[in-house]
Amino acid sequence: MEINAVQAAILGLFACLSSMPGLGGTTFGNYTLGRPLVAGLVVGIILGDIRSGIIIGAAIQVIYIALVTPGGTVSADVRAVSYIGIPLAICAVKGMGLDPDTAQAQAMAAALGAAVGTLGTVLFYGTATMNLIWQGIGWKAVEKGDFGKLYLVDMGLPWISHIICSFLPTFLITMAGAGMVDIMKNYLPMDGIAMKTLFTVGSLLPAVGVAILLKQVVKKPLDFVTFLFGFTLAACMNLNLIASAIVGSFFAIINYKVIMLQSRKAAAAPASTADDDDEEDI
Amino acid sequence: MEKKLSKKTLNKSFLSWFYGNLTCFSQEHMQTFGYLCAMLPVVNELYDTKEEKKAAMSTYTAFFNTEPQIGALVVGMTAGLEEARANGQSIDDEAINGIRAGLMGPLAGIGDSMIVGTLIPILLGIGLGLSSGGSPLGAIFYIVVWNVLMWFGMRYAYFKGYDLGGKAVEVLVGEQAQAVRDSIIMIGTIVIGAVAASWINITTSLVLPGGGVLQKTLDGIYPKMLSAAAVVFCWWLMTKRNISPTMVMLLLVVVAFVGVLLGVFDPGLSY
Repeated sequence: MEINAVQAAILGLFACLSSMPGLGGTTFGNYTLGRPLVAGLVVGIILGDIRSGIIIGAAIQVIYIALVTPGGTVSADVRAVSYIGIPLAICAVKGMGLDPDTAQAQAMAAALGAAVGTLGTVLFYGTATMNLIWQGIGWKAVEKGDFGKLYLVDMGLPWISHIICSFLPTFLITMAGAGMVDIMKNYLPMDGIAMKTLFTVGSLLPAVGVAILLKQVVKKPLDFVTFLFGFTLAACMNLNLIASAIVGSFFAIINYKVIMLQSRKAAAAPASTADDDDEEDI
Repeated sequence: MEKKLSKKTLNKSFLSWFYGNLTCFSQEHMQTFGYLCAMLPVVNELYDTKEEKKAAMSTYTAFFNTEPQIGALVVGMTAGLEEARANGQSIDDEAINGIRAGLMGPLAGIGDSMIVGTLIPILLGIGLGLSSGGSPLGAIFYIVVWNVLMWFGMRYAYFKGYDLGGKAVEVLVGEQAQAVRDSIIMIGTIVIGAVAASWINITTSLVLPGGGVLQKTLDGIYPKMLSAAAVVFCWWLMTKRNISPTMVMLLLVVVAFVGVLLGVFDPGLSY
């Protein structure tokens, strides 16, 4: 599968918009266009294969389901994952003759996406460092009271950082990457150790993504019960995600009522009249 | 005459923050320039002379960084404080920056855990569920629901901050808010469990000495047991051993390589 110059340029533009820190803004750029699920649709449209784009984007999304950047430290770069990783994964999967809607194709996409995402962090630091130049211009403007320039500094000049750190890398790598698949096919047989390892890594990686998320909510081993409850709903009872969300909401409402009841009880404990109310509730 | 910020100015200030909070990010100043842009319309309307404007703007050159979406609350609050200051109330730079610095840490914690760590995974989880077979419905669902929620949510936070000033914080840290947060995290944890079961697919090809297949035995005990175990293992490495996500990924490459050599894993493919 070929990616032509126009397609590569559009991918490059989306890389500029979707980065963290990106020019589409935080909400619509990073957290919308930068999510692999959405990028799968966008890349699918650009490359003319929406089905493959969505399936591969979704497979990569699981690894990055909770990409939190506390204090501006990143472990993966969204523009690289979404607009370099997904197009390359589509080329690789199709070049190898795999159906995207198979566990193997998704494992392959996950491994490729994660590798590109990790290497891509260099783009994040590149962009942030280059922005220091524009901020230097901004400080001078503030000193002089020339405040109109602030908009140029905040929203205009960073385009230069992005042409260098987002547009060009995306353009060049996606253009060159399509040919890479043939080389892989020639030198790395599918039943060889290297490819078997690649596919296995791809199937293991989503576990890291979920674990990153659990790191924030599971503090003690007992908290795993909530996670395993959801896991059981899907794995053993075959509920889909919307059904699981509804069951989860039901328990969350009970949880909310229990907490509020407890705090009301604690607040009302000294007063004897409140005690009567509690008894009626029970 | 009492100075009052016009609706138009507040909207312009909000929009500057909504779009520009991180567009000129650097490790050194983070969201400071986004903040300056958001305060500029406010300062321009409240003060007439260049000297007054310079004095007011210099307040906001102090470092700022938080979760930018929930952080709209702080920007709204300072717009309200700046208005009060222009009307002669004794609010100095230190008071404003004390509030900014005092709120950005706690708000980043709430925003990272509630918005990025819970709301987004729930929406993405549902979106993933709607994407089966390559349907664009899931992506469209996420784009629409997420952006509508954030647009109105951030507007609400900004104007609530402007109206209430310091009291706005109680909306976020009060007892009821704590209970709501706790419950939403519960939904998030359950949904992420379902996402894990639906999307992680780890199987072993190991054949037991008696001729049975290990995977079948495991499925009989608890379906998808290896996938759940892999998640717990990665969690344990990251929280109990303090290993970074990137290192965990590299470790999995080693696990996969050794597993393939030993015949534990075999994707079973050929050209």
